[in-house]
Amino acid sequence: MGKPKAKVDREKCLACGGCISVCPQDALSWYGSKALVDDEKCISCAICIRICPVGAISGEVY
Amino acid sequence: MKYDVVVVGAGPAGCVTARFAAENGAKVLIIERRSEVGVPVLCGEGISRKIDEWDMLEGDRWIAGRMDGARIYSPDGTMVKLSADLAGNETGYVVYRDIFDQELARRAVKAGVKIMMNTMAIGLLKDNDKITGVKAKQFDEEVDIEADLVVGTDGVESKIGQWAGIETRLNPKDLETCAQYTLTNVECTDAYCDFYLGREIAPGGYIWVFPKGKDTANVGIGILASLSESGMAKQLLDRFIANDPRFKNSEPIRFLAGAAPVANPVETVRDNLILVGDAARHVDAITGGGLTCCLEGGKIAGETIGKAVEEQDFSKEMLSAYETGWKEAFGKKLKRNYLVKEIMLDFDDKTLNMLADSLKDYKFEGISTLRLIKALVLKHPTLLMKLRHLMKVSKEAKE
Ligand SMILES: Cc1cc2nc3c(=O)[nH]c(=O)nc-3n(C[C@H](O)[C@H](O)[C@H](O)COP(=O)(O)OP(=O)(O)OC[C@H]3O[C@@H](n4cnc5c(N)ncnc54)[C@H](O)[C@@H]3O)c2cc1C
Ligand code: SF4
Ligand code: SF4
Repeated sequence: MGKPKAKVDREKCLACGGCISVCPQDALSWYGSKALVDDEKCISCAICIRICPVGAISGEVY
Repeated sequence: MKYDVVVVGAGPAGCVTARFAAENGAKVLIIERRSEVGVPVLCGEGISRKIDEWDMLEGDRWIAGRMDGARIYSPDGTMVKLSADLAGNETGYVVYRDIFDQELARRAVKAGVKIMMNTMAIGLLKDNDKITGVKAKQFDEEVDIEADLVVGTDGVESKIGQWAGIETRLNPKDLETCAQYTLTNVECTDAYCDFYLGREIAPGGYIWVFPKGKDTANVGIGILASLSESGMAKQLLDRFIANDPRFKNSEPIRFLAGAAPVANPVETVRDNLILVGDAARHVDAITGGGLTCCLEGGKIAGETIGKAVEEQDFSKEMLSAYETGWKEAFGKKLKRNYLVKEIMLDFDDKTLNMLADSLKDYKFEGISTLRLIKALVLKHPTLLMKLRHLMKVSKEAKE
């Protein structure tokens, strides 16, 4: 609670699928050809933020 | 409409599996979430000459260039050159992946395979615990596709395995996170694939320059996801390109982000389910290359499926011929190269320089990993400790 969830910038996302493959909570999936975070599932671990090759995911890095 | 087989994902693994299943008598449907097969291209586009023996691609429209060899550069610039014969094992051709994938799809359709585009799998259909097909979404409409067998060829982002209870989620240390420009007006004068190693250059990975025809090249980077920070792959690649005179007057005509699993293969068969290609984590963990496994594994999968349809038996036992088959074909190589990846992660730049220096004059004739390691250990006995485990596996593995 209060922790920022991951958020994909849909303009920047190039749909590589990397974030989807590593999310430990299965919180990421395709939505209209871009990655989308399910807020309900996201535990703010920031793994996806660090691995995005083009920096399309933000939130707070712990 | 009910099919024998529904294949999720029209990449190389999906198209080849579908083709061989159909040729062996199965009624096959491929569903693909994208709106064009092979597009966007998410690949360095290098592939082994081995594919010549497999007769899977006709003509040569898919070939961008034939390579004369490969060069590997250590952090201090020491170069190790591999001739075509040897390098050909990894980088024989540079291809146009969009045309390559579409050619594989064409061969599948010729064999009778149906394809539904813009159709994304969103879950498995189950009757109690038995898999009976795929729940999918075509544009905004949900469709149930019934089939005796579901094939997961849904790439690095695969969910099919997870939905069936197979753990395919990647640990960040088993993922290469990538970026690549296709640059034009470059000054790459010869047909060599170049690889650049080093902690500063590409932590846990490498930068590649694959020439694509006359004055165009794929220049890309893969870094280990566990060593990555947000946007780092692109930043390191931009720096490399800015500092290389060959690219001074070049401009990009394509930019892509990519993800390549460099993990151990997962369990690939369950009752009514098969995984092939990136979805099965069938990727060479040293290079991140997965295309040959898609083709080789897809053929074995397709043939196994043909038999399953003939006998109307889709049990794990029946399908395990596929698992035995791919293990025989490339399982040991994948296992060994995963170990090499783990060992190379411990190498600092100094060690890489030293290795390159020992190898730069090495006569790479009929090279086998085992002989290479022996040659290295003779020069650097302290390496023995690190490489001992590898030698054991290498002895088991077929070269
Ligand atoms: C930057 C980069 C460079 C690479 N360079 C090389 C190289 O030089 N040589 C080499 O051999 N390999 C290379 N690889 C690896 C190679 O690209 C993969 O191994 C190969 O594409 C795997 O093929 P596939 O058929 O398993 O999966 P993919 O080609 O990824 O195909 C999967 C398909 O499934 C579809 N899909 C996914 N989810 C769903 C769903 N839910 N419903 C419907 N469809 C779905 C996708 O849209 C896609 O079309 C590289 C990878 C990257 C990222
Ligand atoms: S890792 Fe980044 S570019 Fe790749 S799919 Fe996720 S948000 Fe998009
Ligand atoms: S922050 Fe962690 S849990 Fe949330 S979407 Fe990213 S990887 Fe998944």
